[in-house]
Amino acid sequence: MKGLSTLERVILETIGMESLTSEKILRDSGLHPNVCANLLQSLVMRGFLKTNGVIYQINKHISESIKEEVNSNDSKHAESLEMIEAILEIENNKLFRLQKIALDEKDLKIFHAMLLNLDSFLKEAHIKSSSMIAIKNRQVVFWGYASLEKLMNQLVVGGPR
Amino acid sequence: MNKQQITIQRYRQLFPQETLRETSIRTNIQITRVFRLLNGKPMKVKELEAFEKIIQHKIAEKPEMAKLKSLMDEAFAILSQYELNKIYDYISRKNYLKKNSALVTCLDDKELMQA
Repeated sequence: MKGLSTLERVILETIGMESLTSEKILRDSGLHPNVCANLLQSLVMRGFLKTNGVIYQINKHISESIKEEVNSNDSKHAESLEMIEAILEIENNKLFRLQKIALDEKDLKIFHAMLLNLDSFLKEAHIKSSSMIAIKNRQVVFWGYASLEKLMNQLVVGGPR
Repeated sequence: MNKQQITIQRYRQLFPQETLRETSIRTNIQITRVFRLLNGKPMKVKELEAFEKIIQHKIAEKPEMAKLKSLMDEAFAILSQYELNKIYDYISRKNYLKKNSALVTCLDDKELMQA
């Protein structure tokens, strides 16, 4: 598999710049113990993590080609799709809206400005709370919009333009 | 995961409620040996083949399999290389996630006695 799975990235984000035991990674990531163990093993074998058997840390000497692969648009695209698919499959306690909305030019500008405000609010909130809130307790937030005409053309073409 | 673990995981997905005794009858492997295999004892080649043959038969029974094969034949004919790569990446990711999410279940003594 190319790139990282969503769960692998969660583990890497859990570890961050620190050196953590598997118990701490398990606690902060919220993953099932077997899943966490499998993923840690996989990440060590693929060279993303180093371990002495007790402590795990991110390998600072990952090759440039691997870094490019996991940070590529394709990889991030695939992870985004995984998460959105997972959100759609959750049955309870989720908020999801996808609608075709008629917006005149003025309202589109207002909406765009609201999204910029939202973006700013979320960035500040994250900076304020990231050291206090374990990764498993964070919220996955997504937003965006596009013209329906562009979307339809994209669906017909079925590839990058 | 090694081939044995993958095969056992697949078998357990296809026969989730099966007791040890039923697995023993189906695979023609002695019941205590089945218990050991499901708890990680290395399989012999013929045991692996026995499990795989049952898995293949079970999969072939599913009507979705024929539909999926037919759909993929059509996809190879009409989709672009980019679109086929997307499908390939999607399935790769699903497989990878599934393999790493394998929950290795250990049968306890109660289940052995029930069998």
